[in-house]
Amino acid sequence: MAEQKQTKQKRPIIDMDIHERVTYDELLPYLDNPWQRYIKDTNWVQEKHLPYPILGAAGLDRADAQVPDGRPAGNDLSFLQQQLLDDVGHEAGILTGAGDPSPSSMNGWYEMAVALATAYNDWQIENWLEKDDRLYGSVHVAAQDPASAVREIERVGSHPKMVQVLLPIDDRPWGDPYYHPIFEAAERHNLIIGMHHQEPPNYYGKFPRYFVEWHSVMPNTHMIQVSSMIFNGVFEKYPNLKLAMIEAGFTYIPAFMKKMDQQYKVLRHEVPWVKRMPSDIVKDHVRVTTQPVDELTRDEFLKFIDLMGSDEIVCFSTDYPHWDYDSPFRALPPLGEDLEKKIFAENARKLYPKLPERKVTQ
Amino acid sequence: MKEVVCKKEELSPGNIMSAHVGPIPIVLCRTPDGEFYAFTNKCVHQGAPMSEGVLCGAPAPTDTPGEYHYEKEGEVLRCPWHGIEFDIKNEGRMIVDSNRKLGNFNVSFEGDDVVVSTKK
Ligand code: FES
Repeated sequence: MAEQKQTKQKRPIIDMDIHERVTYDELLPYLDNPWQRYIKDTNWVQEKHLPYPILGAAGLDRADAQVPDGRPAGNDLSFLQQQLLDDVGHEAGILTGAGDPSPSSMNGWYEMAVALATAYNDWQIENWLEKDDRLYGSVHVAAQDPASAVREIERVGSHPKMVQVLLPIDDRPWGDPYYHPIFEAAERHNLIIGMHHQEPPNYYGKFPRYFVEWHSVMPNTHMIQVSSMIFNGVFEKYPNLKLAMIEAGFTYIPAFMKKMDQQYKVLRHEVPWVKRMPSDIVKDHVRVTTQPVDELTRDEFLKFIDLMGSDEIVCFSTDYPHWDYDSPFRALPPLGEDLEKKIFAENARKLYPKLPERKVTQ
Repeated sequence: MKEVVCKKEELSPGNIMSAHVGPIPIVLCRTPDGEFYAFTNKCVHQGAPMSEGVLCGAPAPTDTPGEYHYEKEGEVLRCPWHGIEFDIKNEGRMIVDSNRKLGNFNVSFEGDDVVVSTKK
């Protein structure tokens, strides 16, 4: 690959989706008892539910992303630096890994979910955030127990490298007032809300028959969350709160803005606390990642941006090291210097209040 | 451009390896029936190194939902990233879109040497 790297033009990138990976063994030192003993004595790992293989060459991950010593992809900082951060020229990368499923997706046993979220955050800070100045982190919480989630945000949310609270997309629409304390705490700590799908992928936790179906309809599950947040009045109540929808691409957004505006015009009386057009709320509060991007020509890409009425909604992400990784060099068509700057870095920089200013050398 | 990239026995049937022809990175594939095929080591989708992928087969198109016929064992090169399938015996064309294909090279032999050359 050496030849390929040299010919590539590095560009400043803020990558909104990088998956670091933990093993339960690595979490043990960060867990108190009895949690540590429950895992150790019973060899407990949470169940993974995916009922089909992912038909890339190596399952969930890029086949070339496995750590050379055999550890799973995303498990080693220096290999990640070498394969992703140094190669591409990342200015910043936001870590979005989580337990699998994430603590917020655990059914019942909230006490263990809380313990796992706490352990994960400490592990993340020590092993990633404090070891590479380009990496920023996500606060993991057990959101099904909002009081515990707020406590965890209070505990680690003010870490200078923690930039968002990560909520999984599965069977809970997060706009429900039950979860609002989480948003209040996030806003208070200068954190945004990041949402990323987790298994089970669809509303009500059902799987479609084929993986290709799920991967095709991921935007649906993101739409459920965006409309839930908007129509439950989250952004009216927390005017400084921002939402990042990670890993459903962006092409669904223009149609969804039109759809929500139309519904709002006729059904506003049901949600009188919403005082702006949904499309305006999206423009002010919601950002989406490019990945997994559809193959688009420059013209097609620009039309989508045009229909959104804003070139500040779309932000770049790679989803490294997963199989549907998007290359910073090849995933997007040439879009012109201004728009490329915004999509690859500046839109994300505006989104996360805790990211540093643009470096003058770049 | 023309280059000896390896000895025949250095690549056993059903395997792939990376190599170079001059400065060009290639992926050399050997099908289970012993034939050699060479392509540019760069996926036409987003540029992944094809030599990190797998040589496998693929289910043939069928007329009935739920029916599978696995075929072309060892003749399909699956990209290490998004898993797009390329039919190596059909000029490295994508199975889903035969208009797109990997860059092709000629393979010939000089004794035990495998010689790969750019197509004219
Ligand atoms: S880079 Fe090969 S399938 Fe995408």
